[in-house]
Amino acid sequence: MAHVGGQLPTSDVDHTYTTTGINHRKLLMWVFLGSDCLFFGSLIATYMVYRGQSLVGPYPIDILDIPLTTISTFVLLCSSFAMVQALAATNKNDQKGIQIWLLLTAFMGAIFIGFQVYEFNAFRLEGLLVSTNLFGSTFFTLTGFHGAHVSLGIVWLMVLFFVARKGKVGPHNALDVELCGLYWHFVDIVWIVIFTLLYLVGGFDAGPVAGVLTEPSLLSLLA
Amino acid sequence: MRLAPPRTRIDANKIKVKDRAGLRKIRISQISVMVLLIVGLLSVGCDYNSHMTTWGTAGPVAEKQALLFNVLLWVMVVVFVLVEGALLYAAIKFRRKPGDGLPKQVHGNTPLEITWTVIPTILILALGVWSVQTLFELDKPPAGSDVLEVTATGHQWWFEFEYPDADGNGTFVTTANELKVPVGRPVHVNLLSDDVLHSFWIPRLAGKVDMVPTRNNHLWFQADESGVFHGQCAELCGRAHALMKFRVQAVPEDEYLAWVAGFGKEPVLSAQAAQGQLVFNGEGGCVVCHSATGPDSPATVDARVQGFLSGLESPVAPGPNLTDLATRGTFAAGILDLNRENLRKWITDPESVKSGNHMSGRATVYQTPDGTTKLNQKQVSNVIEYLLSLK
Amino acid sequence: MATITEVLERPANATGLWSWITTVDHKRIGILYGVTAFIFFLVAGIEAGIIRMQLAVPENGLVSPDVYNQMFTMHATAMIFMAIMPLSAAFFNFIIPLAIGARDVAFPRLNAFSYWSFLFGALLIHSSFLFQQAPDAGWFSYAPLTEEPYSIGKGIDFWALGLQVLGVASLAAAFNFVVTIINLRAPGMTMMRMPLFVWMTFVTSILLVLAFPVITVGLIELTMDRSFGAHFFNTVGGGDPLMWQHLFWIFGHPEVYILILPAMGIVSEVIPTFSRKPLFGYPVVVFSGIVIGIMGWAVWSHHMFTVGLGPVANSVFTITTMLIAVPTGVKIFNWIGTMWGGSIKLNTCMLYAIGFVALFIVGGLSGVSHAVSPSDAQQQDTYYIVAHIHYVLFGGAIFGIFTGIYYWFPKVTGKLLDETLGKINFWLLFIGMNITFFPMHYLGMNGMPRRIYTYSTEYGWDFLNLLATAGYFVLFVGILVFIVNVVISYKNGKEAGHDPWDAPGLEWTISSPPPSYNFAQVPQVLGQDHYWIVKRQAEAAGNPITKPEPFVDPETIHMPNPSYWPIFTAFGLLLLAVSFLIEFPWQYLKFPIAIPAGIIIFIGVMGWSFEPAAPEGHHGDDHSDGGHH
Repeated sequence: MAHVGGQLPTSDVDHTYTTTGINHRKLLMWVFLGSDCLFFGSLIATYMVYRGQSLVGPYPIDILDIPLTTISTFVLLCSSFAMVQALAATNKNDQKGIQIWLLLTAFMGAIFIGFQVYEFNAFRLEGLLVSTNLFGSTFFTLTGFHGAHVSLGIVWLMVLFFVARKGKVGPHNALDVELCGLYWHFVDIVWIVIFTLLYLVGGFDAGPVAGVLTEPSLLSLLA
Repeated sequence: MRLAPPRTRIDANKIKVKDRAGLRKIRISQISVMVLLIVGLLSVGCDYNSHMTTWGTAGPVAEKQALLFNVLLWVMVVVFVLVEGALLYAAIKFRRKPGDGLPKQVHGNTPLEITWTVIPTILILALGVWSVQTLFELDKPPAGSDVLEVTATGHQWWFEFEYPDADGNGTFVTTANELKVPVGRPVHVNLLSDDVLHSFWIPRLAGKVDMVPTRNNHLWFQADESGVFHGQCAELCGRAHALMKFRVQAVPEDEYLAWVAGFGKEPVLSAQAAQGQLVFNGEGGCVVCHSATGPDSPATVDARVQGFLSGLESPVAPGPNLTDLATRGTFAAGILDLNRENLRKWITDPESVKSGNHMSGRATVYQTPDGTTKLNQKQVSNVIEYLLSLK
Repeated sequence: MATITEVLERPANATGLWSWITTVDHKRIGILYGVTAFIFFLVAGIEAGIIRMQLAVPENGLVSPDVYNQMFTMHATAMIFMAIMPLSAAFFNFIIPLAIGARDVAFPRLNAFSYWSFLFGALLIHSSFLFQQAPDAGWFSYAPLTEEPYSIGKGIDFWALGLQVLGVASLAAAFNFVVTIINLRAPGMTMMRMPLFVWMTFVTSILLVLAFPVITVGLIELTMDRSFGAHFFNTVGGGDPLMWQHLFWIFGHPEVYILILPAMGIVSEVIPTFSRKPLFGYPVVVFSGIVIGIMGWAVWSHHMFTVGLGPVANSVFTITTMLIAVPTGVKIFNWIGTMWGGSIKLNTCMLYAIGFVALFIVGGLSGVSHAVSPSDAQQQDTYYIVAHIHYVLFGGAIFGIFTGIYYWFPKVTGKLLDETLGKINFWLLFIGMNITFFPMHYLGMNGMPRRIYTYSTEYGWDFLNLLATAGYFVLFVGILVFIVNVVISYKNGKEAGHDPWDAPGLEWTISSPPPSYNFAQVPQVLGQDHYWIVKRQAEAAGNPITKPEPFVDPETIHMPNPSYWPIFTAFGLLLLAVSFLIEFPWQYLKFPIAIPAGIIIFIGVMGWSFEPAAPEGHHGDDHSDGGHH
C-alpha cells in the first residue's frame, strides 16, 4: 500500500519503511491470528472440559453425522487450495484467474456454511439446542463462532472479487489478497482442529452412563 | 554546559549556606513525621481480642496456618526494613547538591545482580517448600483419630449443618447456623452449596474453603478449647452476604453427647407454645420451609431447593432446621441474639433485619403490601413461645 | 466505493470539534484517552467514597446492600478498565511514537477506533446507573451468582457487553502497539536500545493480545447462559462454576501485569532521568519484564486457592506464584541501584517515582504472603487482600501514572506543572493512601471479609474502618490539589522548553508540544539513552544543544489525514451491544437495532478500507490505489 501512517521520511524517501522489512498489515494479521488462537483455544478448552458431562441427551453419538461433515470439511479444505491459486494468479497478474479463484473460494466457503446451516437446523429438529445440555451449549457456540469467522471471510472474498472485476487487483497490491489468504487458511486450520476433536474424537460420546470419560489431563487436576 | 534545571519555588541548589541548617531541620521534622506515621500505622492493628481474629488461634489448623504467616510476616518486615531503608537512604544520601557534576555512569554490576536474584530465589523456594508441606499436612485430619463428620451446606443466606452420625450410634442430626462440636476432636466438614458460591470460615479455627455448587469440597478443624467461635460467609453470595454468619460452639464431650441425645425429642410445650405450634404448622406456613421435629431428609431439602428454583413466585425456599433452636445463642444466621424481642422483630418484619432474605421474599404469609407478616401479634407471641421450647 | 466518500469528504481540518472527532493523530488520541480516563477515575473515586462512608461506622444505613454491591462492583470495574488501562493507553499513544522516532503509530485510524470504542463501552456500562441496574456481583462476577435466578435484571448484561466493547478497544490498541514497536523504530534503535517504557508497553500489548480473547470467550459464554439459556456456568444444567473462574483468571492474572508493567516502565525512565545515571542493569530489567509476562500465565489459580482444587494444584500454583516474586523484586533492586551514587533531584515527579517503589514494596510483600496458600486460606476474601490490591494498584499503577503525568505534562502542553502544588499533591496522596489502606491489612487478619456492606461492632473493627475513611478524605483533597495544579499550570505554567529534565529519550529532542509531524528528520539512534549521548557529545565538542529540532513547514510532510470512519464503526459496535441489552418491554427492538448496527459496522469497515488517502485537492490524494489500512 502506498502510504503507511507514521512514516518518518519526507516525501522523497521510501514510504514503505519498516524496521523489520515485513509490511505493517501483514504483521498485524499475524498478531491478530495469534490472538484468535487464544479465542478459539478457550472455546475448544470449554468443550473439552465439558465433554461427557451432559446431564441429558441428545448426545454426540445420537446426532452428529460424521460422513456429512466430512464432505463439508473436504470442501473447506479445497477452498484453501482455491485461495492459494487466487494469490498465485494475483502475482502473475492473471486477471481472469484472480476473479475465478476468488469466486471459487467464496463459493466453497458458502457451501461449507450451507452444510453447517443444514446441520444446525437438523439438530434443532432432533431436539438439540443451545439450552438443551452441555453438548448443545458448547457445540453451537464453538462451531457457530467458527461459522461466523468463515462468513466474514466470504464477505471479504466477495469484496475482493468485486474490486478485481474493476481490474484493480494485481501484483502491486497482492498483499491484500495474501492477507485474506492468511485469514482464510487460519480459519480452515481451526476447523480441522474442531472437526478432529468434536467429530472424530468426541463424536462417539454417548452420555455419562456409557462411561465415556474426558481424557485425564492437567485439566482434570483443575476441574 | 548542561541545561540549567527548571526553576522551582524551592530550589535547594540556590539556597545560601546559612539557610541549609534550617532546611535540615525541615528535613528532620519531615522524617520524624513519617516515622511516627509508620510506627503508628504499624501498631494500630495489634488487637488479639476480636472474635474473628486469625491470630487468636484455638486449634491446630489455624495454628499451623498462623505460624506460617507469622514467620513470613517477620521475613517481610526484615525485607521491608532493608529494602525501604536502602531506598530512603539512597534518596537522601545521593541528593543533588549545588556544584554536583555528572555522577559516575554505572550501567550495572553483574555479580551483584546475580547475588540479589539468587538469594531471594533460595529464600522463596525454602518458604515455598514449607508451604507445600503445610498444605499437605492440613489436607486431612490426622490418621487414626476419632473424626466427627459434618456436612455443611451453604444457602442464601444461612448455613445448614448435618451430622450423618453425631454420636457414633448412627444418630442423624440436622441443625443450622450453630455447629456444636466436642472439644479436642477433629471435625471433618464436607462443604456443599445448594445455590451460589459461599465460603465456610471460622478464623480462629481454620482458614476458609469455598462452598461450590456441584463440588464436594472439604476442610477439617479441631477446637482445642471450649468456647464460641465466630464464623462468616466469605464469598459474595448476593444481597445479604454481609449478614450470613455462623458460630461453632466447642463443648466438652459429655455436653455434646447430651445435646445429641436430646435432639429431636418431643419438646415440652406450654399451652401458649402449643398454640404457637398450630400456627407454625398451619396459618403461618412455617413448616413449608422449616422443619422443627427432627432432622431433614435429603429428599425434603431437595424438594425445597427444587421448589425455590422452579420460579420467582414459588413460595418455597430451603430454611434452617429449627428442631434445637432453643439451644442456640443466635439465629437468622448468627446476626441476632436469641431472645423474645429479636424473635418478634424477625418474625414480624424480616426484610427490615435482613434485606433480600427469601423468607419474606417467598413465603405466602409475607405477601403483604409492606412485606410484614399476615399473622397478628398474638399469633407471633405464640410462635415465639413454641420456638423457644424447641430443645 | 468512492461514492461513499463522495457523500462526505475525508476531512483535512486541523482545528475545531470535528477535527477532534476525526483525528487520527496519536498525540490527540492520547489526550482524549487521558482526559476521558481521568474523568472515569474521578467517578470511580466517588464510588469509593460511598463505600468508605458506608463502612465508616458499624451497622450504617447510608446505602442499601443492593446499592453497596453496585458501588464496589463499579468502583473496581471502572478503575481497572476505564481508569488505569486507558490512562496507560494515553501514555502509550502520546509517547511511544515519539520515543521510537516515528511520526505516528502503524495504524492511525485503528488507533482512533480504539479510543472511540473505549469511550462508548465505558458510557455503556455507566448507563446502567440510569436504569438503576448497575452490575452488582463484584468485578469478577463469579457464577452462578451472575446466572438466573440469582441475578435478575440487566446489571450483569451491562457489565458483560460493556466489557466486550472495552475489550475490542483494548485489543485494537494492543495490535497497533505491537506492530508499531516492532516495525516503526527509527534506524539504530535495536530492541535492546529501546527505552524501558517502550519495552514494557510492548510486553503489555502482547499480554493484552493473548489474554483478552480468553475473557471474551468467558463473557460470550456468560451471555449465552443469560440470554440463550446455555449451561456453561449454570449448575442446574450441568455447568461448573469453576469454569468461569478459570477462564476469568487465566485472563485476570495477565491483566494485573497489564495494569502494572506500564507504570514500571514509566518509573524505569524517570528514576534514571532524575538520578542522572543510566538505568542500573537495563538488560535485567527488560528481561524481568519479559519473564513476568511469561510467568504471569502460570499463576492464575492463586486466585482460586480456596475453591477446593486440592493440595496438588494448590502446591503448583504456590510455587509458581512465589517464583514470580523474584523478577518483580529484582526490578526494585535495579531502581535502587540506579539511584545509588546518582545525583538525585527530588522534584514532584521523582517523589512519585520513589513513592511508587516504596508502596509497591509493601504491595509486593503482601502478595508473597498470599502466595503461601495455607495462610492465604485465612487472607482470601478479606480486607487483607483489599489492602494488597490497593498498594499495588493505587500505590503502584496510579502513582506510576502520576509519575508519568508530572514527567510528560511539559512535553504534551509545553508548560511545567507547579512544583509546590505538586509536592502538596504528592504528600497528600502518599500519606492518605497509607492511612486508608494500611489498616486494612489488620482488618483482614482480624477477620473482616470483603464485600460486606456493614459489620457489627463486636469485632473491634470500628476504629480502623473510621481511620480508613478519614484517609479517603486526605486522598480526596490530594486529587483536588492535582486538578487545580493541572488547570493553573495549563493556563499559566512556566514554559517548559523542549528538554526541562535533561532527559535521555528521543521525545525530548523535539519541541514541547511536538509539531504535528513529530520529527522532521529521521533520528539515527546512537544507543540506549540516545539523547544523553547526543548532548554529551555536543558538549564535549564545545557545541552544546540548547534548542529542539528545528521546525519545518508541515505542508512538506505527509501525515495521515483525519477520518470519520473510526468513530462511525465504533458507533456501530455500540449499537450492536445495545441490541443485546434490550429486553422487555422493548424486546421487539432487538433485531431492528442489531441489523442496522451490523450494516453500520460493514459500511464503516468498507469506507475505512477504501477511502482515499486525502480529500480531493489535498496533499496525498494521488495515493488512491485502494490498498489502505
